[in-house]
Amino acid sequence: MWWGGRGQSFNIAPQKEEPEMGLSGPKSVEGTGMPEPRSRQLGSCLASGGLPGEQILAWAPGVRKGLEPEMPGTLICSNLRVTFQPCGWQRSQETPLSSEYDFSLANIGRLEAVNGPSRVQLLRPGSLLKFIPEEILIHGQDFRLLRVGFEAGGLEPQAFQVTMAIIQARAQNSPTQQYAGITLSKAGQSSDSRKPPIPLLETTEDWETERKKQAARGWRVSTVNERFDVATSLPRYFWVPKRTLDSEVRRAFGHFHQGRGPRLSWHHPGGSDLLRCGGFYTASDPNKEDIRAVESMLQAGHSDVVLVDTMDELPNLADVQLAHLRLRALCLPDSSVAEDKWLSALEGTRWLDYTRSCLRKASDVSVLVTSRVRSVVLQERGDRDFNGLLSSLVQLLSAPEARTLLGFQSLVQREWVAAGHPFLTRLGGSGSSEEAPVFLLFLDCVWQLLQQFPAEFEFSEFFLLALHDSVRVPDTLTFLRDTPWERGKQGGQFNNYTQVYTSGYSQPLAGNSINPQLSVWDWNLRYSNKQILQFRNPGYDPEHCPDSWLPRQQPSFMVPGPPSSMWLFSRGALTPLNQLCPWRDSPSLLAVSSRWLPRPAISSESLADQEWGLPSHWGACPLPPGLLLPGCLGPQIRLWRRCYLRGRPEVQMGLSAPTISGLQEELSHLQELLRKWTPRISPEDHCKEKNPNTILSQSR
Amino acid sequence: MGGAPAASAGGRCERPPLLPRVAASQGGGMLGKGVGGGGGGTKAPKPSFVSYVRPEEIHTNEKEATEKEVTLHLLPGEQLLCEANTVLKCVQEDSCQRGIYGRLVCTDFKIAFLGDDESALDNDETQFKNKVIGENDITLHCVDQIYGVFDEKKKTLFGQLKKYPEKLVIHCKDLRVFHFCLRYTKEEEVKRIVSGIIHHTQAPKLLKRLFLFSYATAARNSPATDPKKHAVMFDTLQDWCRELERTKGNVKYKEVSVNEGYKVCERLPAYFVVPASLLEEDIAFFQGRGIPIWCWSCHNGCALLKMSALPKEQDDGLLQIQKNFLDRIYKTIHRPPYETAKTEDLSSNFLSLQEIQMAYSKFKQLFLIDNSTEFWDTDIKWFSLLESSSWLDIIRRCLKKAVEIIECLEAQNMNVLLLEDNASDLCCLISSLVQVMMDPHCRTIFGFQSLVQKEWIMGGHCFLDRCNHLRQSDKEEAPMFLLFLDCVWQLVHQHPPAFEFTETYLTVLSDSLYIPIFSTFFFNSPHQKDMNVGRESQDSQSKPLNLLPVWDWSVQFEPKAQTLLTNPLYVEKPKLEKVQRKGTHFKHQRQLSLPLTQSKSSPKRGFFREETDHLIKNLLGKRISKLINSSEELQDGFREFYDSWHSRPPSYQGLLLPHLEGPEIKVWAQRYLRWIPEAQILGGGGVATMSKLLEMMEEVQRLQEKIEARHHSQEAPQAEAASPQRTSGRLSSLFPFALLQRHSSKPVLPTSGWKALGDEDDLAKREDEFVDLGDV
Repeated sequence: MWWGGRGQSFNIAPQKEEPEMGLSGPKSVEGTGMPEPRSRQLGSCLASGGLPGEQILAWAPGVRKGLEPEMPGTLICSNLRVTFQPCGWQRSQETPLSSEYDFSLANIGRLEAVNGPSRVQLLRPGSLLKFIPEEILIHGQDFRLLRVGFEAGGLEPQAFQVTMAIIQARAQNSPTQQYAGITLSKAGQSSDSRKPPIPLLETTEDWETERKKQAARGWRVSTVNERFDVATSLPRYFWVPKRTLDSEVRRAFGHFHQGRGPRLSWHHPGGSDLLRCGGFYTASDPNKEDIRAVESMLQAGHSDVVLVDTMDELPNLADVQLAHLRLRALCLPDSSVAEDKWLSALEGTRWLDYTRSCLRKASDVSVLVTSRVRSVVLQERGDRDFNGLLSSLVQLLSAPEARTLLGFQSLVQREWVAAGHPFLTRLGGSGSSEEAPVFLLFLDCVWQLLQQFPAEFEFSEFFLLALHDSVRVPDTLTFLRDTPWERGKQGGQFNNYTQVYTSGYSQPLAGNSINPQLSVWDWNLRYSNKQILQFRNPGYDPEHCPDSWLPRQQPSFMVPGPPSSMWLFSRGALTPLNQLCPWRDSPSLLAVSSRWLPRPAISSESLADQEWGLPSHWGACPLPPGLLLPGCLGPQIRLWRRCYLRGRPEVQMGLSAPTISGLQEELSHLQELLRKWTPRISPEDHCKEKNPNTILSQSR
Repeated sequence: MGGAPAASAGGRCERPPLLPRVAASQGGGMLGKGVGGGGGGTKAPKPSFVSYVRPEEIHTNEKEATEKEVTLHLLPGEQLLCEANTVLKCVQEDSCQRGIYGRLVCTDFKIAFLGDDESALDNDETQFKNKVIGENDITLHCVDQIYGVFDEKKKTLFGQLKKYPEKLVIHCKDLRVFHFCLRYTKEEEVKRIVSGIIHHTQAPKLLKRLFLFSYATAARNSPATDPKKHAVMFDTLQDWCRELERTKGNVKYKEVSVNEGYKVCERLPAYFVVPASLLEEDIAFFQGRGIPIWCWSCHNGCALLKMSALPKEQDDGLLQIQKNFLDRIYKTIHRPPYETAKTEDLSSNFLSLQEIQMAYSKFKQLFLIDNSTEFWDTDIKWFSLLESSSWLDIIRRCLKKAVEIIECLEAQNMNVLLLEDNASDLCCLISSLVQVMMDPHCRTIFGFQSLVQKEWIMGGHCFLDRCNHLRQSDKEEAPMFLLFLDCVWQLVHQHPPAFEFTETYLTVLSDSLYIPIFSTFFFNSPHQKDMNVGRESQDSQSKPLNLLPVWDWSVQFEPKAQTLLTNPLYVEKPKLEKVQRKGTHFKHQRQLSLPLTQSKSSPKRGFFREETDHLIKNLLGKRISKLINSSEELQDGFREFYDSWHSRPPSYQGLLLPHLEGPEIKVWAQRYLRWIPEAQILGGGGVATMSKLLEMMEEVQRLQEKIEARHHSQEAPQAEAASPQRTSGRLSSLFPFALLQRHSSKPVLPTSGWKALGDEDDLAKREDEFVDLGDV
């Protein structure tokens, strides 16, 4: 393999780099004449932006197409990523990665080489390029598209090389690989420290702080899983009822699927608790004491307990994966669907249908949590996919603080990352057949909420896009591992982790040295400050600010004795249960899957009506402050065009539709208007002064 | 009406806590069964734990209702025709039904339901109240279909009835659905009201019997507002003259008055504009047919023209005459100074009226929902149902056609001649669309109203026939104007800052189509209008009738409500700049898409233009033909024009093109979904953003006023101008329309369902006026 091994011949470290090295690689092997000045420029460009351990495998000058105007630059393939570096663009030290020009190898969904109108070759790992490409197209799994045309004139071998290098690098790339040794520059740190950091929930302190924030007085942080011996997929710490002993927790958790017993997700300020747990491990044979422990944990001190069959009415993993694949096919720029058949094709993907079911279910559960003081337990067999989705959505719907930037990031960190959502497997990293982008489905749901309630969210569509694009970038471990245990192991949490980081980094953070690990929430790795500013929704105008909860009287917490009412929530209705656990006498209703039973006709009446005796659309009064009930009708569930149709040139520009990011533009018009008004008036002013800004501020 | 009675009846034992009241999940069919009052309730009531209404209760309700009864507001000239008491208006709420007792009346203007709930309105809710049409009013012209429910079966009602229904379902053209239960109404009243409604809404009518005339006669002495304030009416020579000047078309085109008094043609307006070199006697030759009539001139001098086709003749001699005539005409307009013209035949190769009518009938069915169960059922298949109606596709095709024509005018420097049989349907649509996209003036409220006045009213669009206002023939019906509004909505939705008006403006304009106090949409041609108004005036008094145009919005809305019609974010035209060219102003726009905004003129475009010009010249040697239309090259030219426009940042004061791709054409949700309670999102929707913006605008304005006051050294501490009123509570996404619906569906139960269950006695103490029509 003539291109193999070549990459090892030169290794670009970020600090010292001679331009000749970047040049010598291709030259020594190929001996092709290369225009000197361009190479030099390239060399210095690369020198400024390489990551430790990054090796440039091949590069070629090219033109980025599909955008107007076309952008000349260089296509670079390294062992970590594919980058299109526009002429004159300098990678800033503060953002070692670029959200705009980098394609991580794991993100490459489809690679095509084109020569002329008829010759198109789909390049799979290991395939051999049959011709010299005029153009290559890289379709990102995140729906981005990189389309690079190569210049002719003696440079064709380079085009060939870079394409082959991409094929090769993609084949060798392991999804678990992480960009090593990325550090945040000091500049980045200082700006970061102004904002409150996102708690990574790897310490008891984090959990304790979070618990206090939620005012969950009946709960405590349990350290029973500190050594991951209850379950590796569970976080080291979690919340259990105050009066439950750790020994009881351990015993009770043994009777749940993979040891994922009931834990608190969120404490509603009105008094209800939202819990999540895995399926009952029905094969076990618990004794009376164990059953009592399980029951009291599910009951969480409430007299009213509702078990929610999470999977009921929701798609399964295979459904989600299939829908996502179909959606990606539909959204390809060359998708062959005719314009007038677009809608039915979109319906055929079922993606929007799944989004709708998730929202509808989440809306029902938030009604359950809000309408009465009770314990609501989300139960999914694995407790690692849809429980997280549902519990996060419920919190977004009912807790205004979850809709802030900080709150949302901690929500994802808690309900997805710490709760052990198998990101790597679900996003296709581990090669197992259980790939299903549940997290992306969640982001779509959040986007739906964002567009339905544009004033209730502090973060913008741009932020959601950034999060969407981050799931396959191997800069941090956040999305690259399946369990907290693996993440901790890799991140050096249990070893002397400071070695991983370059010197000088951990010192200034002495006060916070417990957790120097970088997470996806360190946005300035990939986003410039200017971009980060756009994470904020300018239209954020919450009807109820986060701290304006109407304090309701908290009922006396621990209710002695068994719960007085127990329900199973499925198919949009509550069914009474005789017992919470399936072991005592008859098989539980939960053992029977209710997925295939039809929803009763009555269910067109929403749960909100049933619970409050009021129609959901009635008006402001019956809805408690802060609760959002999303619309789930066909016309209300929309396609996230700015995400899925990004590969299409016509969508990339010129959409001033009234979305949240459109609002930003509109706001700038507004300011412009203001500026226009002011000078029009000031000429009339006699005292020949003043800065319009001071006028405005004075008149306040 | 797929209901499952068993589910609701058996609800108690299965799911006790959820059902404070049994809800009938089905539609009208279940109504009236078993309450045991008036009509033929023969079935024994099923046992159920909630019995809401007992016959004696009904009796008391009736008394109370009459006490609280609201008086009927009649417009000047409006006459009460028939009425019925103790009618129950049923309100659909998800799956349950509630009723409000009241009086159903039918006048020569509207059908109105007088319930007792009007007093419940608070400020917010009245904010967008229509002064002419109340919330429970249906103008006779707004009625689309009437159904009767007989023994739970829904049938269309028309003509003489042998049997009278127990329930009346009225589908309106603005997509409201009303259910009136007549079970407790006296039989003779039922007969009178049902046959009255059917007769007055469905029987063919004479033009002279339109309420328009009674209203104008009765309101004769009210002060007339000057219609010129709201739009250019185009009923004088000067109006046309000014329009020519505005568009700089006056060099090559002239206004003519040959048709004064409609001597030449009744289809044409009294004044219009033709090419300057056209002989005036030619206009009369075929009664105005075959004459290129000027619509609008583009900044580069190219013009949009329209022409109605010559009558179809069999006779060879006549055909020869026609041919010679056309040759002469074509020669006039193909000679310099006129640009070469491309003929766009809209009668063939494009949409037919039937197609449009069919698509719309299918489309509107998606929104005329009798009960919510039905709605949820269609919901899963929403997209494919939508697609199969092909309404959105028709919108796309219209927009596309307009873009094609713009490409000719703008990029190829050609005149475009629209050809249609009567030049009054698709011609109006396409030519107005072209102007909305090309002429920023048409995107102001005044300009848009003038445009409608010029292209639709003076263009002789047959509103009477197309809206079927007189119920004379269904065959002529086609929602052309609505299609136009929907196309404009797509533009407004895609480029909001470019328009001075909002989607709410378009929605209320579409509603005004059915309000017969405005003359604008109730004539087939200016000739017909003038004839009818003129004769009337000679009969009675010397003063001619003062017919109201729709354009004065103060007739329908209070000033506060009118603010919802204007777009606070409209990017106004800078006063100084005259030339409107893309990319020259508003540099602040779209700074967000940084690396891409560099606008450069595409060299390819210039090259291409020459090439096609060459091609056209070659082709024109032979004859204008459809060949050009279908030519491959032109398709490419269109694509290139479209792509290159969209690849650059839009200038809101220049040319504006819509996105035409599949995902970009959307449902005009405000108009079509506004009456469907399920479609409401509390505190959500674009309204939330809008209200925030409005608030900011008000703030800015207030500051401006303060500055101004300071500058004029008016030290007097003015009482703080009422600070911008924060609308209290969360608005619904369907605002401003949803609130109108809201108070009528006032809940019965303020208590939680749990309590109701625990204490069944509460059920008896339920509010009186509201009656649940459960499956009792």
